[in-house]
Amino acid sequence: HQDRVWCAAWHPTKPILATCSGDKSVRIWQATNAEDPTQWQCTNILEGGHKRTIRSVAWSPDGRQLATGSFDATTGIWERDEEENGDYECVATLEGHENETKSIAWSKSGALLATCSRDKSVWIWEVEEENDFECLSVLQEHTQDVKMVAWHPNEELLASASYDDTIKIWKDDDDDWYCSDTLQGHEGTVWAIDFSATGEELISASADQTLRIWRRFKPNNSMGIVPTRRGEPIWKCVSVVTGQHERCIYSVSWSKCNGLVVSAGADNTIRLFTVGPVSEDATGRLTEEQQKTLNDPGVLLEAQCVTKVKNAHGTSDINSVAWYPNEEHGDWLASGGDDGS
Amino acid sequence: MAFSGALTLSDLNDFISPSQACIKPVEMAKTSETQGAIKVDDTGSYYEVSQDGSETKLETATISLNDCLACRQTNDPTKHRTVVISISPQTRASFAAKYKQTPLQVARKLTWFFKNLGVHSVFDTSFSRDLSLLESGREFVARYKNAVKKGTIKSPTTNESVPTSSEGGDMDVDVQQDVKATKAPRKRIIRRGVAGASDEPAVAVETESAMPMLASACPGWICYAEKTHGYILPYISETKSPQQIMGSMVKNHFGTQLGLNPDQIYHVCVMPCYDKKLEASRSDFYSDLYRTRDVDCVITSTEVEKMFSEQGQTDMIAFGEVNLDPGYNSVIKDPITGADQVLVGASGNASGGFLEYVMQYAAKELFGIDGIDVDKGLGVEVKTVRNADFREVTLQLPGASEPLLKFAAAYGFRNIQNLVRKVKTGKSPYHFVEVMACPSGCINGGGQLNPPGDNHATVPLKDWIGLADQQYRNSVMARKPEENPVLKQLYEEWLGGVDTPKVKQQLRTGYHAVEQNLINPLAVKW
Repeated sequence: HQDRVWCAAWHPTKPILATCSGDKSVRIWQATNAEDPTQWQCTNILEGGHKRTIRSVAWSPDGRQLATGSFDATTGIWERDEEENGDYECVATLEGHENETKSIAWSKSGALLATCSRDKSVWIWEVEEENDFECLSVLQEHTQDVKMVAWHPNEELLASASYDDTIKIWKDDDDDWYCSDTLQGHEGTVWAIDFSATGEELISASADQTLRIWRRFKPNNSMGIVPTRRGEPIWKCVSVVTGQHERCIYSVSWSKCNGLVVSAGADNTIRLFTVGPVSEDATGRLTEEQQKTLNDPGVLLEAQCVTKVKNAHGTSDINSVAWYPNEEHGDWLASGGDDGS
Repeated sequence: MAFSGALTLSDLNDFISPSQACIKPVEMAKTSETQGAIKVDDTGSYYEVSQDGSETKLETATISLNDCLACRQTNDPTKHRTVVISISPQTRASFAAKYKQTPLQVARKLTWFFKNLGVHSVFDTSFSRDLSLLESGREFVARYKNAVKKGTIKSPTTNESVPTSSEGGDMDVDVQQDVKATKAPRKRIIRRGVAGASDEPAVAVETESAMPMLASACPGWICYAEKTHGYILPYISETKSPQQIMGSMVKNHFGTQLGLNPDQIYHVCVMPCYDKKLEASRSDFYSDLYRTRDVDCVITSTEVEKMFSEQGQTDMIAFGEVNLDPGYNSVIKDPITGADQVLVGASGNASGGFLEYVMQYAAKELFGIDGIDVDKGLGVEVKTVRNADFREVTLQLPGASEPLLKFAAAYGFRNIQNLVRKVKTGKSPYHFVEVMACPSGCINGGGQLNPPGDNHATVPLKDWIGLADQQYRNSVMARKPEENPVLKQLYEEWLGGVDTPKVKQQLRTGYHAVEQNLINPLAVKW
């Protein structure tokens, strides 16, 4: 890549990586030897589809299409030609955002695509026949630039993270999508979010140099946490990981197979965490009575930093980290940085 | 947001582009003729330092919210003008719902209220809407015929198995309101399709035959289309909205009857939304000759409510009532009760009834089919597609393979997106689309009244809209625009006919795409 790498995304089933960059292109990489993660070759370059930086890239769950979100306010959908080494061509362009598209995400079924933008809105599209995408909803409840969108691993539930320091949870109620919950607590832009393998937890990375883990509490839960106004599950912060990163955290990924969390950002370091229940002697736990009044579950989980890689991309910021999606190479990790690698 | 040390100035180019410049001209008197330097002090105030060293504090340019919404020129309040107020039926319905009155009572009370403030006449935009509907119908039929001539649409073959001429009253097709099907889990549909839409439509579009025709009464939609989708402007109907037709009538007809010039009348409209303020301030509706606008001021339902409290009269139920003014009101003597006045108006939903009227009018004019009533589902099939704010209305003869007319109503941003995309790629199957920016239409405009107390905690929004909608239809007798006796007069006396240049001048308008000037901030000379 000729410019910074903004995002790295693994193919859902094959050892193929897609990366996108400020050089307005997407590169597809394949390991020269399927078992060896150290040798990669660039097999395709997707160019000419966007007029500006491509900020985010995502594979559809069946691996047949690739979506690219660009600063030119459009989202491109690409498909590969039938033959083995065919070229990718842009089969659809989703327009509508007023300015830079920041992130895109496919739902688990692959029938929905979410996009978000600096114009503070989140759009939900439905995939139709013949590569037509129909806009299902335009959600404008964030008060600032929306940095990232992520779908629940199993349900049709969407989370979005914003410059307004909040995360919003979105659901569908037959006629339209609405904001089911707003997660507050971060003291700076929330740059990235990811769900745990079960989808009961959500982790978020922020400019306030912390990671926060949120857990979903269904109505009538054992801890007595009150549900949302509409009587729906509510998300509460159950852990704050501080003192680790020394600057903004730009990306976080929660492995769906080994449960490890990786995060990276402006301090040029990649950190790995294990997440587990709080150990017996953690201080700061509220008594049961206190919990009930504050409607706060207290600290339930803690993350232990198991290892870190300093200056993983030299002196450059790291923009994206991504775990391999399944057990085949569950310990493979991709990262993209400002150094263009 | 902490920037890492590696950020360079050139990066700014890619992240942030400057927003559209505000078009409000800032009037600043130049304090000195000669060039002076500008200095900034500790408090952040700007001073102009003139040649002799003296400093004059510069006023900061201010733009108030009022400016943004109204963008109107300052009017000289000392000039005495005759005040005319035109109230929209949606506003009337909103008050009726909140204060539990009938729309007629509301109209009479508002008339009493405004007359007490010295207003000369109080009118009803349902009246001018009749003209707007009629003109829309005519425009559509003309366009359809042109499109057929041009070959851009195929006239459905008329030698299908057509029932005899008694089809008029017999076409009582059951109302088919498809409730949205129970949701099956969404499945991915993949088809190898053609590459996506190219950037610009290949063929230039001429308004006089452009299909589909898109309704023009909603300024929110118009402003959005002008700003973001300039290529769709030729499709939009050129007929003015009821508000603006009322403006033309009040200034150029009513005024003349009173012996007044347009600039001697101050015309206020009461509307359910704020975008109508933007519409009134358009330069298309400004007369250079008399230096006055067709509509001088627009206030919303909530702003009128505020006026009540400003006048110390908050209990609307206790207001007096007076008969509605003759002239531009839609009232007749009640044929049933014999009462002096009963409200009449075109049928159709609370966003003006454009789809309903144009369908009925076109069916008659183009195919000779009578008795269509979209509201009651007579003669047409009404379907809810996708979501409650997107409806399809189809006129199809039994046994025919193609519909004669296929219309749609698209309300709300997401449906506008889908519509615009389909029209852009030439895949829109409709002949006419009623477009409204607000979900649920005008009855749910941004300036409509809220329930008493703490907003929607006690009354859910859907229910509140339902109440207002009910009131909109309540005790208003249906009357077709062509049955309005004054309309015929207007066409003959004021406009000189049905197809004259004066009709074009008074009842039609045009649209202008906004140029997006994306200035490179680094190229600007500071």
